[in-house]
Amino acid sequence: MEVFFDSLSLILSFDKDLYEIIFLSLRVSLAALLISTIIGLPIAGILASKNFLGKKIVLIFFNSMMALPPVFVGLVLYVFFSQSGFFGFMNILYTPIIMIIAQVIIILPIIISVSAELLENIFHEYKEFFDTFSVGTLRRVKTTLFDARFSLITCILTGLGRALSEVGAILIVGGNIVHYTRVMTTTIALETSRGNLSLAIALGIILIFISIMLNYIVISIKNISKQNSYD
Amino acid sequence: MIKKISIKNVNFGFNQKVFFKNLSIDFSTKGISVIIGPNGSGKSLITKLLKGIILPDSGEIQLISGKTKPKISYLSQKITFLRRDVYNNLAYPLIIRNYKKKQIKQKVNKILENFNFLDKLNFSARSLSKGNKQFLAFIRSQIIKHDILVLDEPCSNLDFESIKIIEKYLLTLKKEKKIIMVTHDMFQAMRLADEIIIINDGELIEISGKKSILKSKNKFTKNFFTKHILSP
Repeated sequence: MEVFFDSLSLILSFDKDLYEIIFLSLRVSLAALLISTIIGLPIAGILASKNFLGKKIVLIFFNSMMALPPVFVGLVLYVFFSQSGFFGFMNILYTPIIMIIAQVIIILPIIISVSAELLENIFHEYKEFFDTFSVGTLRRVKTTLFDARFSLITCILTGLGRALSEVGAILIVGGNIVHYTRVMTTTIALETSRGNLSLAIALGIILIFISIMLNYIVISIKNISKQNSYD
Repeated sequence: MIKKISIKNVNFGFNQKVFFKNLSIDFSTKGISVIIGPNGSGKSLITKLLKGIILPDSGEIQLISGKTKPKISYLSQKITFLRRDVYNNLAYPLIIRNYKKKQIKQKVNKILENFNFLDKLNFSARSLSKGNKQFLAFIRSQIIKHDILVLDEPCSNLDFESIKIIEKYLLTLKKEKKIIMVTHDMFQAMRLADEIIIINDGELIEISGKKSILKSKNKFTKNFFTKHILSP
């Protein structure tokens, strides 16, 4: 019980180290989410709207990538970005940049696969309408993305949840360096092994709080979409 | 001015089923051509071929007017609305044709006013009743400029009053535009048609004027009309 009160005291006293870790976690995960969304949604839109040779293979690839073990992603990135690796010259190993790259690799397939399925259903429904008015491919993708916007936000927030809870890959590529690459999940793992449970629990509480907030946002968006989606 | 509308030696099939085998139809270039026939005879496929939504495996769709290819406005049997309100569903075809905002507003309001539908401007198009959806789809088919109007069962699900409005509109419109439509309503066909095209099993049975078709000696035509007009 004492540990729990210590944790609460860390949160309520706005402990500088604790909040530094929280903000770095949010910065890394939000940056990864933004990049994944910018790359992922157009790809999902094209996959949903176009029939091309090898489309099934591309979809199978992204679906399989959703189950990719984060530790393996971390290992592959480590091999490529270590000093002797192919991209070693970039010197980004053990920096927040490589942590963002790792999270992009983990959440991009989620955003592409889930969004593509959602968009494909809408696109299939709209196809004859698009044909009737001779709508071009780009406009078809844009219209489908716009009409699916509320459901897509839910997909994107799922990606954010996945990014924030990730530990394996960023521990390997980030190195868990204090004041530099130490994020919530890696700190929880480290402090638990050290026996410093109050900090670990404080971060756990924050993670749960963020998760509740994300779910609240998802539910609110669903309610808004019911009122405004004209469905 | 439309010079030619014809389907020439068209073969078409999918899923290993042949729908049209060497089908040729010469539509009149004026007035209303009504395509009738039993379910699954290929009437809707003909409208899709004309619009270019499906392409023939071989053969030609010839649409010839003065200088440019005539513009076709098409109303599908399958009605789809965007997840938007009535205004934005009507505005969409204009937006993609780069109309200015002011023009779009004027056009949408005017057409809705003409069809007495302005009170539903801000309603969700997808939440309208079946009849109102059908009526709105018809209005949408009129929003863009066209030379030929192709309608696939434009009056299904509509009440008598709405059917009357659409028929009156089509009878006025036919003076300026060519209209090709599919209907299951023989009485409507007789009210509107200048030319009746009878299709069965992907084959052209007969093309005739509405007066002469009732005197047709073709066995299928006779049976078809007896069944649909004389039977309840």
